[in-house]
Amino acid sequence: MLKFIFKRLLIIIPTALVVVTITWGLIRLAPGNFYSGEKKLPAAVEANIRAKYGLDKPWYQQYLMFLGRFVRGDFGDSLKYPGQTVNEIILRHFPYSAILGLLAYALALATGFSLGLISAAAQNTRADYLSMSAALVGLSVPNFVLAPIMVLLGAFWFYLLPPARWGGAANLILPVISLSAIYAAYIARLTRAGFIETLKSDFVRTARAKGLPEWQVMLRHSIWGAVVPIVSFTGPALANLLAGTVVVEKIFALPGLGDIFIKSILNRDEPLILGIVAFFSVLIMVLNLIVDIAYAWLDPRIRFETE
Amino acid sequence: MSAALYQANPVKKMIVESIFFRRFLKAIFAANVFALIIFAAGCAATSKGRYFGKTAPPKAEELRYISGAEPETLDPQLPDGQPEARIALALFEGLVEYGPKDLQPIPALAEKWEINPTVDEFIFYLRRNARFSDGTPITADDFVYSMRRGFSSDTLSRTAGLGYFIKYAEEFNSQKVFVFKDGRFLTEEDLGKSIEPRPIFGPVTPHAEMLHSADRITLYADEKKRAKQIDSDEKLKKLTEGAKFVKVSAEDIGVEAIDDFTVRITLKQSAPFFLGLLAHQFFRVVPRRAIEKYGKDWTRPENIVTSGAYRVKEYLPYNRLVVEKNPFYWDSANVHLERLSFYPVEELSTMMNLYKAGEVDAMLNHSVPTAWIEEIRQFKDEYLDFPENATSYYAINIKKKPFDDLKVRLAFNLAVNREALSKFRKVTKPLYEFTPTGIFPEYDEARKRVAQEMNSNGQQIVWPGDKPFDPERARRLLGEAGFPVIKKGDEWDCPSFPINQIAITFNTNENNRTVAEYLQAEWKRNLGITIPLKTMEFKTYLSYFKSLQYEGFAILLWSGDYMDPYTFLSLEYGEDNQGGSGFYDKEYDRMLDEANLELDKNKRYEKLARAEFKMLSALPVVPLTVAATNWLKKPYVKGMYPNPGTLFPWKFVYIERDEAKWDKDVQNILTQRDEKVEKQLAELLSTMQVSTKQVSSTQEKQAGINNTR
Repeated sequence: MLKFIFKRLLIIIPTALVVVTITWGLIRLAPGNFYSGEKKLPAAVEANIRAKYGLDKPWYQQYLMFLGRFVRGDFGDSLKYPGQTVNEIILRHFPYSAILGLLAYALALATGFSLGLISAAAQNTRADYLSMSAALVGLSVPNFVLAPIMVLLGAFWFYLLPPARWGGAANLILPVISLSAIYAAYIARLTRAGFIETLKSDFVRTARAKGLPEWQVMLRHSIWGAVVPIVSFTGPALANLLAGTVVVEKIFALPGLGDIFIKSILNRDEPLILGIVAFFSVLIMVLNLIVDIAYAWLDPRIRFETE
Repeated sequence: MSAALYQANPVKKMIVESIFFRRFLKAIFAANVFALIIFAAGCAATSKGRYFGKTAPPKAEELRYISGAEPETLDPQLPDGQPEARIALALFEGLVEYGPKDLQPIPALAEKWEINPTVDEFIFYLRRNARFSDGTPITADDFVYSMRRGFSSDTLSRTAGLGYFIKYAEEFNSQKVFVFKDGRFLTEEDLGKSIEPRPIFGPVTPHAEMLHSADRITLYADEKKRAKQIDSDEKLKKLTEGAKFVKVSAEDIGVEAIDDFTVRITLKQSAPFFLGLLAHQFFRVVPRRAIEKYGKDWTRPENIVTSGAYRVKEYLPYNRLVVEKNPFYWDSANVHLERLSFYPVEELSTMMNLYKAGEVDAMLNHSVPTAWIEEIRQFKDEYLDFPENATSYYAINIKKKPFDDLKVRLAFNLAVNREALSKFRKVTKPLYEFTPTGIFPEYDEARKRVAQEMNSNGQQIVWPGDKPFDPERARRLLGEAGFPVIKKGDEWDCPSFPINQIAITFNTNENNRTVAEYLQAEWKRNLGITIPLKTMEFKTYLSYFKSLQYEGFAILLWSGDYMDPYTFLSLEYGEDNQGGSGFYDKEYDRMLDEANLELDKNKRYEKLARAEFKMLSALPVVPLTVAATNWLKKPYVKGMYPNPGTLFPWKFVYIERDEAKWDKDVQNILTQRDEKVEKQLAELLSTMQVSTKQVSSTQEKQAGINNTR
């Protein structure tokens, strides 16, 4: 097991390097520059800028310079925001995304799991249909549609909640709900399917035959089987939530890293793009590793082939 | 509850599933009804009430403003964007400030100034009670330092080009060298040019003597480039043999502290508009001690020192920038708001939501989404729709056939219904001249006078005609030019026009395409000519445009750098101008130069207007539209005007708590008098009046001309 973890950790660095190198190449292919705006810069000003950031050097030298920084884990200064380092920007804004993502994740787990549990327990009753319809709506309404509806409901009926921006807990309610809906829906369906699958097993029949109350059958015995597909789904989902909250961050004007990532691309802010790509790729790989470990821990039938 | 149903027989299961399906359909139906109700409720909520959304002044003396993109930096000298400019206006102050309504210069750090007769030298008298936010005094040296820093190539200022009017500023910024030989610097005179020395304005100093001696020769600092430059000129080659090259230094530029509170600026050319340009954030005073101590970290909230009405209270990037009243500011008694909060938001509908929910009091320009405009227009006390100093033209390549013929250019100009184009675009106003109408009211007047005068003198004005949209005349003109337009059924046709030789070229973007398609249709309908469209990536487009490779029409968007018609007219100035039409007229340049020597504002405007008519009579462009400001502010926000740059001298802005005094029908906001603002403005301008008296009593120096607005 330890050997497996060690191997996986080792592979993270070269993978990230490949990802970042491809990104580096793609940026070079994209037209435009971080300093190009509506107005034409005087030639002298442009020359000064190019010289300062080494853009006048041949591409391989630029790549080597970048590589040197990458190995040291230092992505240098942002081009668009002079005076701010890339590392500082990532460390400052990732927590916003993380809070948002984790809250949405927790909400999705809580609502999804309980909805799934209810419909599995009360299979083919009104409660089941109702929760599964809700899940279906959650699945099919994308968050960029859901978010404005949430704003209309939450912010413009009696002006109860702020419609956007980061601030107090009240500011988080609408974005967290918008963000978690689709995940809650997935989890609800997975939970329901997982339980129904497990409830057919022999050990459940044994448990029932022993005369255990139904809640004990569900929550003490079947739950372990039901939970494995949720874990395999929520691992990548968590990574998505932490890294991919772009749309919701944009609609609610939240200072998370996802929105900054998009802007860095539009701004052609090369060091920032590369820094965030490297950060997210490492984050996603680490999360995947954690999921794999959790798998083995939850379901002893799963073994890692290390040989 | 148990899983009993699951074990039911197959028939029952089928029934259950069909029930499920029906319920599913019901659910979908219900969801749709629900969405409709929400939508209807939303519409109902927006259309009721006098104001758009929740309208109540904030409890504190605070303005919450949506500032658009996250500011690149708080350093006023680096960025060129409007969001940064607005923040710089709160934090930093220069010699002059923008007037709140018209952006014309008003006293700021300088309480008065004098200008020499050739309008290329300025002396500013600084007030003695100006202080940085750390309490240290602001002196002439601080301004000189700020300029030297701004033009230094290490600073990487993107707006330094605006200051190239200052002598040797361009040479210093582009790291050029002087030529030193036989104990002196070589000048243009050594190259055989005769240069009339200009008298020094104000006290004689070594620096002034240096600036007023003949222009020094400047060459590239880069050796390869310099060698090429020298090789191309025999005379230069001979002259520079055995010469030393000395870098143009910060001390050489035409900005000098005569004493602690007097600054002299020497320009390389006459520029009456330079005073207005000085309000730009590039020319604002930055704190030398903080910059030297903290380097690039000086703009961090814990290090920053400001020179303006406000100082930084809290800065959370991508979230908010809160600035508070600077107690050391010389005019802090007249700063109305305790706090300004800048919220960086870029999503237009998010801005609208925040505004509607009453979370913000005003938002930046161009922020009402096109889809909302019809709805928002009804809120007459809040929606600000004014012309902006940004124009769009189609440049015409006048070097290539068939547009080398003035008649053809005129025909195409006459065949565009600009009124309709502007209605169709929703957020623009029609443009009939080169310099946009409605931005410089006095210039508009002058231009009208000149037009009348020219008409009564029997001088022919080719453009603008009385009827700028005249397809009939356009077709006739095309016929005269050898391209007869014939009727073909219900449509017009011009088979002889060489459409395969021309195109409408533009850099790829949605707006440009919409306009191009509109004009394509317009010319097809009125002239029977379908011009192909050609689109390319921005960078590629720029070089294609500049080198006149395009044929026919190419988009030319221009936004004014300063509040003077010259910022537009100079587009066509000089042989290698930025107008991109291949237009060059020595007479036009001469007329502009002459106008710039004129100090009397009205006379100068008339001269500029004559030049404009001169240039327009060659029609190097198809004027299309002027941008509109297109933003919202709550009616209780006062002293904040929809001027052509949407730039606010923040100390005039205040919150009106008396509902009776709130803004009504803001379409008249620029002509309505706000006593509070007028009084504040008059007080500021009073120092200028004092100076007039002082100068007339101490006229022993030179005939200093005092500039009144």
